[in-house]
Amino acid sequence: MAGTTGASRGASKTDRSFNAASHMALRRLSAAQGGGLFVALLALAAYFTFANGSFLTRSNLLVILLQVSVVGMVAVPGAMLLVAGKLDLSVGSLAGLAAACFGEFNKIMGWPLGFAIVGALLVGALWGLMNGILVGYFRFSPVIVTLGGYAGASGVAQTITADATRTGFGPVFAVLGNGEIAGVPVPVVIFVAVFAIGAYCWYETPIGRHLIGIGANPEAAEAVGVATRRLPCLVYIFSGLAAAAGGLIVTSQLDGASVQIGAGLELQVLTAILLGGVAFNGGRGSLWGTLAGILFIGVLDDGLILINIGPYVADLAIGAVLVVAAGLDVLYQRIERLPMGTLEAVPSGIEGTGVAQQRTVAGNPTREHGIRDTQR
Amino acid sequence: MLAVREISKRYGPVTALRGVSLELRRGEVLALVGDNGAGKSTLVSIISGMARPDAGEVLIDGEPFAGHGPKAAREAGIETVFQNLALVQTLSIAENVYLGRELYRGGALGRALRFLDKRRMRREVETTFDRLGLDLPPVTAKAGALSGGQRQAVAVARAMLWQRKVVVMDEPVAALGVRQTEAVLSLVERLGQHGVATLLVSHNMEHVLRVAHRVAVMRLGRKVADLDLRTGEVSGMHLVGLITGGITEADLSS
Repeated sequence: MAGTTGASRGASKTDRSFNAASHMALRRLSAAQGGGLFVALLALAAYFTFANGSFLTRSNLLVILLQVSVVGMVAVPGAMLLVAGKLDLSVGSLAGLAAACFGEFNKIMGWPLGFAIVGALLVGALWGLMNGILVGYFRFSPVIVTLGGYAGASGVAQTITADATRTGFGPVFAVLGNGEIAGVPVPVVIFVAVFAIGAYCWYETPIGRHLIGIGANPEAAEAVGVATRRLPCLVYIFSGLAAAAGGLIVTSQLDGASVQIGAGLELQVLTAILLGGVAFNGGRGSLWGTLAGILFIGVLDDGLILINIGPYVADLAIGAVLVVAAGLDVLYQRIERLPMGTLEAVPSGIEGTGVAQQRTVAGNPTREHGIRDTQR
Repeated sequence: MLAVREISKRYGPVTALRGVSLELRRGEVLALVGDNGAGKSTLVSIISGMARPDAGEVLIDGEPFAGHGPKAAREAGIETVFQNLALVQTLSIAENVYLGRELYRGGALGRALRFLDKRRMRREVETTFDRLGLDLPPVTAKAGALSGGQRQAVAVARAMLWQRKVVVMDEPVAALGVRQTEAVLSLVERLGQHGVATLLVSHNMEHVLRVAHRVAVMRLGRKVADLDLRTGEVSGMHLVGLITGGITEADLSS
């Protein structure tokens, strides 16, 4: 691909129309970052449908959604953080901490169910606030701060529970993980709601473009008045809250509040986001792409089991796809750096050569005059 | 309209500005010229809120602007076209122009939910480009795909669209082709007619003499001359002499 771009850059005028066409095709490809994965997702789904008749049934599709619901709801703020050049590695431990706190609140301290749920969510949100203040306002490294949270939250959870698992939260709490609303599992409903709120924030309010701005060019974002401190801080709170909600859902499904809940969640979330085409260094990516990444993992896991290939192959396949996604990421960056004006017929005369022109037009002649003038 | 009073700024052992004062009136184009290192960029960054002076103050309509930082400067009515073109490459042209100042859909609900009016923003940007005579790729194209000149044009257009009391332009045409330069210069002239005060930093004496009403010459951190250009008595040769220290303001009047 590098050869193609190099050739089109150095193209002679006669080659231009051809190169412009291929150039535009490349550009369209790069615009479809997450879209490429959607195509792969559809192909994969088509293959599983063909291979096993029970893939494309309402119940199996709901199973897939149920499987990805916790990862999915945490991936929504996760994608927002990553596109802004931040990261939250503490979500897995926060899910465990929220579960542990819920168990302690309800079983040991005797709080009513509602209070225990709100208390557990609050713990997640407060930890998110701490991450947000340290990363957003004090500009600490997001990797280090949330890696500290990864170890710290899990340590707190083990301390307060003394590693004991609380069980028996009753049928009302069981609805959160196992209930259905109009035939749709409650966790799926929550995931869809979280995604809908996320999509609204990303695409219909300034939040999405501001986060991309913070990730791509923090100085520019700051200069035009984007809240480069407050906005990431708010998303960290959202992330902590989503992680706590995920922890409670798993607690309800297991009817057991264990500190083990959420183990490995942070890497599953990161995998889904990166698969969906969000750049690891931020500045580029979409929430729809992230949805494709979430569903891709769900479909792959589910389909491979249906066609009797073990879950280990699924992990191998996800790893391979992730490496391919990393390669595509490099390619997109190359495409985006191609100046548009060099290949499109811009009638204005500000082509790629415009920069070279300005040296002679705007600067030097006058200064040369000037030097001669003063010597006189 | 804009007044800069006795501003001094040191960077460690280097004194960038020594007691510089400027006055910028409504509808006026003031050119700021000087050699590299004369303190122009420091002065611009203080006026645009990017740096704080060690001494002195910046007044807008007689009021020092509240707080500090680029946001405070903008709220006070100072719009700056940055030399390093503050654009986000991965956002579209329209998104860049309105970044940090998005338009919302009408009605209390639209504003409360911060519902973006994307179509209106795109249309406004297109209209502005048309009005300025700028031919650019579609406003939905990513800023990263633009050439240096095109990016400069977008940055200038952004300042124009958000025209406030004072527009500060640091080398606005430095990366533009002939026709674009012409468009921007006539734009600067038009800005004055709309009652906007413009501070134009330029190396190009030809441009300065053409569009500026007054010129302030900086040399080694001081303002060494403040001349009215409308009399037509000042030439590019005089300006260059002042910039290099070959002549002084006193020489000029005698």
